[in-house]
Amino acid sequence: MKFQSQRIAWLFFATCMLLLTLQIIYGFIMGFAHMGFDVLHDYIPFNTARATHTNLLVVWLLTGFMGASYYILPEEADRELYSPKLAVIQWASLVVVSVVALIGFHLNYWEGRKFLEIPRPLDYLVVANVLMFVFNVGMTTLRGRRYTTTGLVLLVGLVSAALLYLPGMIWFDNQVLDSYFRWWVVHLWVEGVWELIMGAIMSYLLIKLTGVDREVIEKWLYVIVGLTFVSGILGTGHHYYWIGAPEYWKTVGGVFSALEPLAFLGMALYGVNMARRGGRKHENRIALYWTVGTGIMSFVGAGFLGFAHTLPQVNIYTHGTLVTAMHGHLAFWGAYAMTVLAVISYALPQMTGRKLYNTWMAEWAFWISNIGMVAMTAAFGVAGITQVYLERRVGMDFLKVQDAVQVHFGGLILAASLFTVGIGLFIWTFILYGLPRRELAADAVQAEPGLRPAK
Amino acid sequence: MLSKSQARLFFLATTGGFSLVFLGLTVDTILQVPERSHDADLTPAVVRGKHLWEDNNCMGCHTLLGEGAYYAPELTKVYERRGPDWMKTFLRDPQAMFPGQRKMVEYHFTDAQIDDLVAFFQWIDHVDTNGFPAPADLAPPAPAVASVAAVDLSAAPSTFTTVCIGCHSVGGRGGTIGPALDGEGGRRDAAWLDTWLTDPQAVKPGTAMPNLGLDPAVRQDLVAFLTSLH
Repeated sequence: MKFQSQRIAWLFFATCMLLLTLQIIYGFIMGFAHMGFDVLHDYIPFNTARATHTNLLVVWLLTGFMGASYYILPEEADRELYSPKLAVIQWASLVVVSVVALIGFHLNYWEGRKFLEIPRPLDYLVVANVLMFVFNVGMTTLRGRRYTTTGLVLLVGLVSAALLYLPGMIWFDNQVLDSYFRWWVVHLWVEGVWELIMGAIMSYLLIKLTGVDREVIEKWLYVIVGLTFVSGILGTGHHYYWIGAPEYWKTVGGVFSALEPLAFLGMALYGVNMARRGGRKHENRIALYWTVGTGIMSFVGAGFLGFAHTLPQVNIYTHGTLVTAMHGHLAFWGAYAMTVLAVISYALPQMTGRKLYNTWMAEWAFWISNIGMVAMTAAFGVAGITQVYLERRVGMDFLKVQDAVQVHFGGLILAASLFTVGIGLFIWTFILYGLPRRELAADAVQAEPGLRPAK
Repeated sequence: MLSKSQARLFFLATTGGFSLVFLGLTVDTILQVPERSHDADLTPAVVRGKHLWEDNNCMGCHTLLGEGAYYAPELTKVYERRGPDWMKTFLRDPQAMFPGQRKMVEYHFTDAQIDDLVAFFQWIDHVDTNGFPAPADLAPPAPAVASVAAVDLSAAPSTFTTVCIGCHSVGGRGGTIGPALDGEGGRRDAAWLDTWLTDPQAVKPGTAMPNLGLDPAVRQDLVAFLTSLH
């Protein structure tokens, strides 16, 4: 760590850990409800648990991206953060808005639009909050002593993500147009500009961890984010097959979303190749695990499993079934959750001066959480395929089919318990690191601490 | 070998190009949607129904146009599948229809709100969804009509043809969740049927038969119809 103000990232990372914990708890509530144990129905009905679970995900990932940006951008711009004070205010207001929104979900205060359940009056506060953030990191970059590709791609990703929130705030009387523009936010975030953020964070970490030349890494960053947009923009069409939009979206969405795995394959090859080429090995091996892991798991979860049901002739049966939950879980985990955990794993030792990486706990956190999530995906997959077959193809009644797949939710809960153990170890490691230390920043001017020649 | 500036050019050119194509297709979609979704039928009642749909986060359990959560049934074609009377009966007391099954939140909608929701579902039902949801292509063929005598339903009370038929069948028509009611008049007498329809749980605890809170007059009509089935 080079600059004092980078320590602000710790606040965001700690918030991530708290929100992730809550997200898992609400996931269990839903898993048990699917098994028939909806004992909390009167207090936390399924739709509350569901909105809370998905919004916690979105908020903790965004919080993680913000923390990552406050950590990375000062270093890329080679100066202190434009205003550390504003960053703290922004963090506090983010927490307040999130808490108000989450409590609102428990009091029937929301708008039932999948992933965008935050009601419109609160949307304006979200916008104000994001403007504060974008202004701060934007000024840091503009007033910086250098412009790097990594820094610019990250900034472009953040600004575009902020702008793309706006189409989701327009009211349409027509449900078809409502849905059409809701996907401008949801799809163009996760299969578009969030990939810029992910790519830039990976690029920063690979530069730090592998010692491969920045020019080489950033060249491939351009290629990958280029591939993302080649496939991702028109790939939005795979959400437009059945919502009342014109029929040509079946062709456009089918062709371009079939190309989407390429961008994620790029991410995977990027991580693996750079890690192998690196002439120097960083001591923080576990951060490299998460960095390469996010490339690989995003390909499996987002690329491969997304492709599995993206073609219209398959999707007409799988659309709106548990198959979507199968793809969604591994995609968000692989592409975005792991990216945030990677940057946390890298930044914590830098901020606190403690070297708790490569401990058994940090290593098992990586393996157990990944194995748990893959097993969860398998449980959703089996339940989803059974549902598609019985309900969509044989025409059995919805509730009868749900009874038939109940047993797979038992499997899901076992897998989720394993996953939770992994995350528990990660969070325990986080706690052991303690608070970031001030004196460290002052003397840690050596550019890339921890690099040593490979054996 | 690819240079960094070529890579940057690739990124900028493809992103710009595909964004323009996407915007063009969006304009065309906006022009086509009014006709495909019968925008003219978008009455104030439909819009009020949409507000109710969103204000209560129905998408948090159900899917509509295939979008939402997977805890409760797909509702794009619910108007066609259930019909307005069944939907109204259900929405008045959502937990009554499927006793002992997965629960829906009791929203205590007013009759006017229920009408708005039904109007919303009716409008959604007519949207051109390019064939979604697909018909169940592997469904077993309907029971041969010859095995049961055809029943003339023109004399049946409307509650029977719109609500009961969702779960029960007569003459090979209707749902399969409850038993077929052919010949019911030969098995049960009027007194038993009346007690049963008044409170199914009291007769047979744990039954899936809902207590629909039927009006006494409606109940009498149903009993008369059922006892006539031989």
